[in-house]
Amino acid sequence: MKFFKFASMIAIFLAAGATYAQDTEETKERDPGHYNDNRFKQLYEEFSTPNMYRSGNGAPGPNYYQQQADYVMDLRLDDKTARLYGVETITYTNNSPDELEYLWVQLDQNVRARDSKSDLIEGSGAVPAEMAGSFVGKYMGEGFDGGFKIDYVNDDNGRPLPYTINRTMMRIDVPKNLKTGDKYTFSIKWWYNIPDHTIDRARSGYEKFEDGNNGYVIAQFYPRMAVYSDVEGWQNSQFWGRDEFALPFGDFDVTITVPSDHILDATGELLNRKEVFSKTMMQRFEAAKKSYKEPVLIVTEAEAEAASKGFATTTKTWKFRAENVRDYGFASSRRFIWDMMAVKIGNRDVMAVSVYPPEGNPLWGDWSTKVVASTLKSYSRMTFDYPYHKAISVHAKNQGMEYPMICWNYGRPDKDGNYSERTKYGMFGVIIHEVGHNYFPMIVNSDERQWTWMDEGINTFVQYVAEQDFGEAYPEAIAPNKAYPSRRGPAKTIVDYMAGNQNKMAPIMTKGLNTYNFGSNAYSKPAVGLNILRETIMGRELFDHAFKTYSQRWMFKHPNPEDFFRTMEDASAVDLDWFWRAWFFTTDYTDIGVKDVKKFYVTSKMNKQIREMIEARGMKESDLPPLVYLVEEGSEDFEEDMKTATLNDVTTLQTFIMDNMTPAERAKLKSPKYFYEITFEKPGGIPMPIIAEYTYSDGTTKRITYPAQIWRKNDASVGKVIASEKEITKIVVDPDEETADIDTSNNSWPKLKKLGEFNKFKEKVKGQ
Amino acid sequence: MKLLRITFLLVILSTTLSFTAHKFYVSITKVEFSQEESSLQIISKLFIDDIEDVLQTRYNPSLVMGGEKETEAVGKFLKEYVLQKLVIEVNGKPVTLHYLGHEYDNDVVKTYLEVKGVSELNSISVENKMLMELFEEQQNIIHVKRFKKRKSLVLEADNPKGLLNFN
Repeated sequence: MKFFKFASMIAIFLAAGATYAQDTEETKERDPGHYNDNRFKQLYEEFSTPNMYRSGNGAPGPNYYQQQADYVMDLRLDDKTARLYGVETITYTNNSPDELEYLWVQLDQNVRARDSKSDLIEGSGAVPAEMAGSFVGKYMGEGFDGGFKIDYVNDDNGRPLPYTINRTMMRIDVPKNLKTGDKYTFSIKWWYNIPDHTIDRARSGYEKFEDGNNGYVIAQFYPRMAVYSDVEGWQNSQFWGRDEFALPFGDFDVTITVPSDHILDATGELLNRKEVFSKTMMQRFEAAKKSYKEPVLIVTEAEAEAASKGFATTTKTWKFRAENVRDYGFASSRRFIWDMMAVKIGNRDVMAVSVYPPEGNPLWGDWSTKVVASTLKSYSRMTFDYPYHKAISVHAKNQGMEYPMICWNYGRPDKDGNYSERTKYGMFGVIIHEVGHNYFPMIVNSDERQWTWMDEGINTFVQYVAEQDFGEAYPEAIAPNKAYPSRRGPAKTIVDYMAGNQNKMAPIMTKGLNTYNFGSNAYSKPAVGLNILRETIMGRELFDHAFKTYSQRWMFKHPNPEDFFRTMEDASAVDLDWFWRAWFFTTDYTDIGVKDVKKFYVTSKMNKQIREMIEARGMKESDLPPLVYLVEEGSEDFEEDMKTATLNDVTTLQTFIMDNMTPAERAKLKSPKYFYEITFEKPGGIPMPIIAEYTYSDGTTKRITYPAQIWRKNDASVGKVIASEKEITKIVVDPDEETADIDTSNNSWPKLKKLGEFNKFKEKVKGQ
Repeated sequence: MKLLRITFLLVILSTTLSFTAHKFYVSITKVEFSQEESSLQIISKLFIDDIEDVLQTRYNPSLVMGGEKETEAVGKFLKEYVLQKLVIEVNGKPVTLHYLGHEYDNDVVKTYLEVKGVSELNSISVENKMLMELFEEQQNIIHVKRFKKRKSLVLEADNPKGLLNFN
């Protein structure tokens, strides 16, 4: 009872204290009301309402559906004219509850057609000088004759179907509406001129080697079904050249006819290996299936060089079948080296494969396949076991592009076979990244056209984890570095971008086409955000479980941003709405610092503030229960001898302890000597946790992390009282730079007179 | 020569269809006013790949930046290039940039410059044309800090110069 009374009195005084402080402010006009603009408000307005297709927990709902598009394709590559010819039969299954009057097919090659509008949406500036050839191409010539030439679109009885081409999209009007469960089969015959991808940096095409041979990396090469979904209807937003793709899953039966001296690899299982492999190749392939440490060459460099001298006029047909893939790609050339090794994923063997011209050696022979294998292990650990039977890394100059089971990667030594550290790390990084895309978006099949970050950002995050793993698995590959020097992932790598000009920044939740700084916005920032969640906000255990849950829930399905956001919370019990809002929906930045530190002493003598308060209420000191008073150093009530006093000298406290506690309880009491009120400030918009490191006079340190929710009632500054047995000599906020704080000059108390980056360098060069 | 030509072509044609999983053309220059030292302290960060391409094109196709293969000439070229492309006016008057040197940090090269004798910073105009002759999409971001105030510019080929007022 006594305790209760004491507590309630204190409550009254605390409340009174608050009022007292306000009374001293000038009376101002009453502020108008406002909506809930709290940074911790839940994202009900930003998120679409969960429904039968997509559940509130972030998983596919009970009525979730996705369309299916199965392809049978017969392809012929003409190496002389660099043309690709194809006939494809698409069987489309409508699993949606809707009736479809038409189908949309993507004609991505049309981005390079003469009537393409892609150039027209780009502003341009005059450059001081241009190569004559490029000038002609740009201003005088007709330009490259790219784009699909459609020979026919027929139904399965060979009768022409009406179709309409709107640039990179083709609408096919079906004779009878497709009802739920209906399948519709139709065929398209097409061809196109393959572009030189080294000139216009297309995502696919050929590279002409110095010996005149072409290396083909072929993708977006066939009319592809668009996605029809519960959120977009048809995703038929035009392909302008930058935003990537949205594609339904399906099974592919593909035959590819190429010159008989070509080496070819592609999405899917090779069905006629014995027909296209020599006996030697078969033997080497069998050896590769049992080699887990070193790749085995199927085609050697000498064999590739020898083949490069010829030009076969006969052809060979390679047959593939791929199940449950969203896309198809292949690489073909007589100038290809080929190596493979096995990697254990769960209880299955997957083949890690590399295809590269001699120009890639020695780098490619030494590392590509090992990087592929290491990447598959890391991604499988973070998400789910790699479900396909192989992963191929093809070397193509300047390329970094991904398809199911196959990707194109850059990283080329000079003519003497020398390469810089940057070339090497560029190659490691791009292989890890592009092989990683097998997971996002090839299997966790998000809509790239709309949400670049869902594949690029999430993939760049896992890429960081895989890079670190690779460095640990192959220390000789990264020596003399101790850890893999990742360009993206750690929080401080995004600081320069987030400190930048707000006019040239878009939230991550922006269609990729319309962002300013693509690399930072769609790759780096989301990757850093997830890394901050994993390392700082959620911790690895909770994060990894939730991230795995998301990956497995949406494996072979089409997730949306909310599905990711919701799953991460649902599987971890960490409310992250504030983080999603700040990091993904705004261009806010982190800036947290120590504003002020006040030192207090404890006394039983009433201080001025309380005296004035009770006098104003006509009370006397004897009306109060025994109180303990805090006096700020240097204030009116402060007396020098308070500094040397201990809690034993505070009579009100001692009396209370003696009257209310047993000797055993008393023995357990701590005896703090130093009392501080620390004010943290937050000039930045993002409410990050405050990671405070306290250094004591004896040199020891203690780190306390105050969760981000500490900012929920005051977005600008917050106080914290610390009672300590030792004197605090230093406070540093975010000492390991893990929150992407854009201004660290306010992160220390006492203000660190630290030698900045500039003066450090100046000191360094002074002596030279 | 062929390599050079291809690089040059690639760069000029790289505008609209560039997508890659990795490439974006950006540099960051931080300018900080130091009252204590009456100076502007400037750190300009460039991607090594990009500046190497530029220096190779201008000076020597076989030069290498960073590591043991970097010759002294590289430092000279870099200095000459940076001083030619970066022009600063303080309070309406052109100032002299003192080049202190360069160092590497991962895939970035940082060059250090100083403007001496700046007792007050009311306005600053920065023209930064670095890398723009090769990369049409190049964005040179300038951050200027005067005490607690920060201001930024984004300079592009068609607008390579900007003015910031601090009053």
